[in-house]
Amino acid sequence: MTKYGPVATLAIAAALPFLSDNMFLLNLLVLMLISIIFASAWNLLAFTGQGSLGHAAFFGIGAYAATLIAVRSGISPFVTIFLGAAVAAFIGVLIGLTCVRLKEWFLAMVTFGFAIILQTLTVSVLAPVTGGWDGISSPRLVSPSVPGYQFIEYYVVLVITISTLAAIWYIMKSRIGLAFLAIRENELEARAAGVDPVRYRLLAFAMSAYLAGVAGALQIYHIGYLTPDLYGVNNSFWPVTYVILGGLGTIAGPVVGTIVLTVILEGLKQTGLTFGRYVIVGFILILTIIFLPRGLVDLPERLKAWWKERGRKASEAGPQRSAWKFF
Amino acid sequence: MDNLGIFLQILFWGLYAGCIYILLATGLNLIFGVMKIVNFAHGEFLMIGAYITATVFFLTGINPYLIILVSMLALIGIGAVVERLCFRPILGTGKLNEIFLSIGLIYIFQNGAAIIWGDSWQSIRSPYDGITIPVGPLSIPLDYIIIVALTAGILIALYLFLKKTKTGREMRATSQNRKGAMLVGIDVERIDVISFGLGCALAAAAGTLWVVSGQVFNPYIGSMPAVKAFTIIILGGLGSIPGAIIGGLLMGIAENGAAFLLGGIWKDAVSFIILIVVLVIRPTGLFGEKGD
Repeated sequence: MTKYGPVATLAIAAALPFLSDNMFLLNLLVLMLISIIFASAWNLLAFTGQGSLGHAAFFGIGAYAATLIAVRSGISPFVTIFLGAAVAAFIGVLIGLTCVRLKEWFLAMVTFGFAIILQTLTVSVLAPVTGGWDGISSPRLVSPSVPGYQFIEYYVVLVITISTLAAIWYIMKSRIGLAFLAIRENELEARAAGVDPVRYRLLAFAMSAYLAGVAGALQIYHIGYLTPDLYGVNNSFWPVTYVILGGLGTIAGPVVGTIVLTVILEGLKQTGLTFGRYVIVGFILILTIIFLPRGLVDLPERLKAWWKERGRKASEAGPQRSAWKFF
Repeated sequence: MDNLGIFLQILFWGLYAGCIYILLATGLNLIFGVMKIVNFAHGEFLMIGAYITATVFFLTGINPYLIILVSMLALIGIGAVVERLCFRPILGTGKLNEIFLSIGLIYIFQNGAAIIWGDSWQSIRSPYDGITIPVGPLSIPLDYIIIVALTAGILIALYLFLKKTKTGREMRATSQNRKGAMLVGIDVERIDVISFGLGCALAAAAGTLWVVSGQVFNPYIGSMPAVKAFTIIILGGLGSIPGAIIGGLLMGIAENGAAFLLGGIWKDAVSFIILIVVLVIRPTGLFGEKGD
């Protein structure tokens, strides 16, 4: 995957609807693209070394805010996606303010907690507006009465996904991206070099929450219905799983991880595994963390290194250390 | 019932709910103290313990309180395997990896349990169901009293194990200074396995008590108590077992108080509100000096 990788992927993505008029496949592709946005949003925050376990909060706020604004004001869903995401970004900054001084699992716990608190608020205090546990129906991005609405939807989501990835690529190439990486590597040195960690962490929170909000709004406009399950633990874990599988801290990682995992999950679903496929995902995740800590995007490099090593080992066979000792 | 009666009732419910949190938080603390890792999937061991208890009870019909031994022993084994195969390879590779690995374990255990036992809600009846003992203005179910006593017994046994036995002393030495422990000839990897197994056994005990008290269970019950246990050890100090006990009791009482005052829906959220407020004021936790 060098220069031509992204171009080829783009060409395939643009051509896919023409290759098959299977609506099930198209639906799956739309959901996959939304997951790519969501995973990339989580990954953007991870660039600063902050691993959130509560991104469902931003996903959910984006969805709820976009829907409620669209329903109440009658503004087109195309606009409210970004208004809803702006609300998510605003809440993201507020949550970020409590998180910027926290490390690792403290941060994970607090973000996790915020998703639970938001879910509780949605079904209790805000229930008159949000419909409580029953949820509410939302407008569709493109009305189903328009001929070929699924294709329009697919290309809209594709354009937003590509813009998201391009924006992240641009951010990471800029001074902001450098500051993010500096904070992740060594906060003290970053501070010494004139980077204010708190400001950049908040910025990362805002941008990540914004993108997660876009993903949430898109998913709701695609499905046409929303419930407080959006804030659920599962929704917080999926972006983490996608990114770890694909490669943490790379732009291609969330894309590769989401595509591979979607294919695996759908493939296993066809064989009739319901719970079993998630067990398999769990094993894949653990094996990736242990044996491929940089994710699937690192696989080509690793294979190359392994191939070279193999050639060398054959010539100089030494005593092997037994590393397997249970106790 | 007068105000004092309600207050005492909340206090006692809190004490009972606190027992489950204390066992989970003590287990997490034991593991953290020795290995300096945090297992977010700790609640899944509670869930497995709950299912083992229910399964043995359905098969044999013996007193469910006795099954606590079976579930604890089984979870020592499962915990040892999880430590050896999952956590040891990533020891020292970064805190975030532990969180990610726990997510993998959560997928495996929750869905594995759903395959074996199904994902519907189940419950069993304790042989002492319906028996209450009058204490002042309250009538307290006998089950609650047994649960509190059992928890106290387990904690005392753990205390004696850590203070009096050679392995216990080795565990304390490892948690104080891992390199130092290695230098004086302690096999720290063996200690890791034992601590992880013991921590899981405490979670299994919590699972048994969960089931015996008549609470319903399904494969997804573990996450929330485990996350709360985790907030308890953040508040009570990472690695501090007295902190876990006091924190567990306070959490149980705070939750039941909130459920009474604000409605049951707030039961989960209130513990996170406490956590967030505390961490905003003190980013290292109430009694913690440093995060790592």
